[in-house]
Amino acid sequence: MARIYQVPSHTRLWLTLAVTFCALPQLLKGPLWQGGLFALVVAIRALVNRQRMALPGRIIRSLLLMGAVALTFYSFGRLYGPEAGVALLVSLFGLKYLEVVSQRDAYVLLVLGFFVCATSLLFSQSPLMFLYVLLCMVLLTACLAGINHSDTRASGMQHLKRAGIIMAQAVPLMLILFVLVPRVAPLWNMQVGNGKARTGMTDSMAPGQISELSESSALAFRVAFDGDMPPPAERYWRGLTLSHFDGRAWQQAIPRGMDEAGYLYSGRGPAPDWVDALTAGRSDGTSYAYQVIVEPTQRRWLFAMPVPFVSEGGVSLARDMRLVANNPVSQRQSYQVVSVPAATRRLPLAAEEKALMLSIPDESGRRARGLAQQWRLESQSDAAVVQQALRYFRQQPFHYTLRPPKLVADPIDDFLFRSRKGFCEHYASSFTFLMRAAGIPARVVVGYQGGEQNSLGSHLLVRQYDAHAWSEVWLEGQGWVRVDPTGAVAPERVERGLRAALEEGDSGDALGGIQLDGFAGSGLLGVMREWADYVDFRWQTWVLSYDSQLQLSVLSKLLGQVTPLRVAVTLMVSVALLLGLYGLYLFWRNPVHSQSPMEKEFWRLHQRVQGCGLALSPGVTPSQLAEAIAGRWPRAASPARDWARYYQRALYDPRQKASKQQMRHLRGLRNRLYKLLD
Amino acid sequence: MRLPQGPRRLYERWLARRLPAASQIVLDQKRIFIFPTGYGFFYLLVAALLFIGGINYENNLILALSFLMASLFLVAILHTFRNLSALGLRNGTAESGFSGEEGALEVVLFAEQRAHHCIWLRWPGQDAQQVSVLAGEEESLWLNLPLARRGKIPAPRLKVESRFPLGLLRTWSYATLDHYCLAWPRPQESEDCPADGGKNNQRAFSSGQSGNEEFQGLRRYVPGDSLRKIDWKGYARGRGLNTKLFEEPVGGRLWLRWDKLEGLGDEQRLSILCHWVLELDRQHQPYGLVLPGLTLAPDTGDVHRWRLLDALACYPEF
Repeated sequence: MARIYQVPSHTRLWLTLAVTFCALPQLLKGPLWQGGLFALVVAIRALVNRQRMALPGRIIRSLLLMGAVALTFYSFGRLYGPEAGVALLVSLFGLKYLEVVSQRDAYVLLVLGFFVCATSLLFSQSPLMFLYVLLCMVLLTACLAGINHSDTRASGMQHLKRAGIIMAQAVPLMLILFVLVPRVAPLWNMQVGNGKARTGMTDSMAPGQISELSESSALAFRVAFDGDMPPPAERYWRGLTLSHFDGRAWQQAIPRGMDEAGYLYSGRGPAPDWVDALTAGRSDGTSYAYQVIVEPTQRRWLFAMPVPFVSEGGVSLARDMRLVANNPVSQRQSYQVVSVPAATRRLPLAAEEKALMLSIPDESGRRARGLAQQWRLESQSDAAVVQQALRYFRQQPFHYTLRPPKLVADPIDDFLFRSRKGFCEHYASSFTFLMRAAGIPARVVVGYQGGEQNSLGSHLLVRQYDAHAWSEVWLEGQGWVRVDPTGAVAPERVERGLRAALEEGDSGDALGGIQLDGFAGSGLLGVMREWADYVDFRWQTWVLSYDSQLQLSVLSKLLGQVTPLRVAVTLMVSVALLLGLYGLYLFWRNPVHSQSPMEKEFWRLHQRVQGCGLALSPGVTPSQLAEAIAGRWPRAASPARDWARYYQRALYDPRQKASKQQMRHLRGLRNRLYKLLD
Repeated sequence: MRLPQGPRRLYERWLARRLPAASQIVLDQKRIFIFPTGYGFFYLLVAALLFIGGINYENNLILALSFLMASLFLVAILHTFRNLSALGLRNGTAESGFSGEEGALEVVLFAEQRAHHCIWLRWPGQDAQQVSVLAGEEESLWLNLPLARRGKIPAPRLKVESRFPLGLLRTWSYATLDHYCLAWPRPQESEDCPADGGKNNQRAFSSGQSGNEEFQGLRRYVPGDSLRKIDWKGYARGRGLNTKLFEEPVGGRLWLRWDKLEGLGDEQRLSILCHWVLELDRQHQPYGLVLPGLTLAPDTGDVHRWRLLDALACYPEF
């Protein structure tokens, strides 16, 4: 028996639009066949709705379903997991749309639509995506309104308007719930990795690696300061320390005899002595509090200024004064840091650590070693050796360039004595080598230096081209001291960033073809970029990273003391207040019989005449009114009759409705009449 | 779902007290009930699942989506309630019928405040009827009423229900309109006409002689005249609508009498009287009716027949 289509025809368009819009993000991202499947479903549906063909039978639908499952398996290699699962869900969503007949089917379809919307948010959390999902929700609500409106008289636009109104009222309520509903810790852990390789730092430094990074203007992380911002020359964001040198590349290393458990402290369990030593220096000198929002790197290391203290879970402190996430950063992540630069002198240097920091391969850098030993003999202290080295870089004809010539035989000697053209990694590498050769414990630090300020949000934007490498030397009594040999060669790199350094230097060859787009692209475009970044930043800090901690601080600002009872009462009261407000608006009794302009015209005169002391019955007609006026004020008799005659003609003449001109004439007559009263 | 007898009676009594019968009812918050539909619960379950998903993926936007769904539900409460609130119902006319058959009652819905969409009206045990009323307008709806017994059949409690606009919530109210439908007695054939005042005996009439009337003349049609006595031929010739007048039958007026049916039950008497009312009406005989406490003078015509049938239906309280 043929089933009867029960979904009203005025809703079909919304159903089609809702299904298409909900599925679109996945269709754009997913395999091509899914788009084809959807196009097929929408086409069939359009033909069925126009009664050009019958609804496909159960066999065809089953075949389509099996085909979709098989293709999903073929495309993803499995049917579970975020990507494959979502692809399958969206296919099922499309196939369900194909078989919608009754209202019940439509209900199921719309619920699937809500799920599909949610999965779009799984892969993209940008403000635009959320707006898009809100649009999808309006369409889904319009469909709900449509399938519940079985009047054939109803029009499609009515549904959209109604959905828009309901949605507009729901969004403020959503905001209240979003702010006030307590955040619960995850019941079980799920992570969506998008498995994409990202630009970013690797865990070793060979010549050429950082200069590659400097060609990318992708965002690395943002920093929002809570209070003072350090001057540009102090903004060194440490990522990794590299202490093992094999003659070409620097690598991370843990001193012999130390294990990772002792090297990393996650905040749980007893603190090792080096943590205690650092913590003791927490109140030494100036400190900077800030929030870092790091873009996904798929790596565990995080970026901070020395010496970083964090309070939240999921982040560990390493012995080399840097932060390490417990899980690879696969999504944007934010963490609060307090950095105390002066605390660095509290950290002791263990013997095995010192051995590592002095190790250099025997066969490399013979001339460099000689130079270092010469400085050692000439100087009184370690600090003097450092100054000697920096003076050397300043005085010899070193060049700062993004396109250094290839180093052939021995990278250290070749750079120091022959090419003398290099990028920060060359300077850091050779300087660290020289220090070690002179018997000073030293290591290479890679990370980012500088950052661009967004004048709207007063947060710093650190991009990939801010990647930098510098050195740290261990000086008795001062602990690890940062030395940036690049600053000796190209001070503007440290003061004003890479772009400035390259523009002042040999920009001609260095910048060839490289686009460094920051905010500096001044004019309207720059302002727009700044705004877009500001919105994105606020979205990140206020919405995406609104977790239990942030909620607690917001609530304590709002409520003073945060107790579960208070939160519950606030939640109830604010929801009830808002709903009450809507109720007032929705149930406001607007009189159905509002007076027409003609009626108003009549009652104005009526009131005026009564105001002048003539009692009138409410049921008086215009001509009776005129006669009453004529009786009381004989002078006004003829204007009153004129008015009544004109009024009646305007009101009852079937050939024309009272036009604006007539109304104006009537008003003129009435005003003339007023002057003759009293 | 049916409650056991005891609580059910209590519930009925509570409803009757809370929602007393009236000839005009405007639904207000005292009368309106609201509860989620099955789909509404399903929808909330989906919102809860999204909430758990948002918590687990630590995805604030999915959380926001689940809050949005919950907010839509909350706002839908107001909108669903609003759709039924301020809807007015009042008595319309009634269509009587013979007992054992069906009568019909007209219910007029009026919307003074705002439009009301997709309202379902239902009497217990019957299919619902759907109606929409636009603001400031009226819609009337005929609801069938089975007439199980003779007499005044009061309108049962009417269920007014709506799921508009989102189908997540069901709002309903019970309206007991102070309205009734008359159930005429079921005609029962009998040989003897319980009448007197006829020509000589009643048998002559039962044989169906209709030629014993003398045509007297025409007069202008007055609403209520029997359609059978209209001069249709003259109407076709363009002479207007006239009613043929007949001279009174030789035997004079017939009186159907209640007390002629001694020894029978009340209902049976009424059924026999009903049969003869119909029969005499078919024969265009002027007839009257004498019931204890009510006497209706002999006449003919549809209005007369209805008056007599209504009297039979209402017996013994007129």
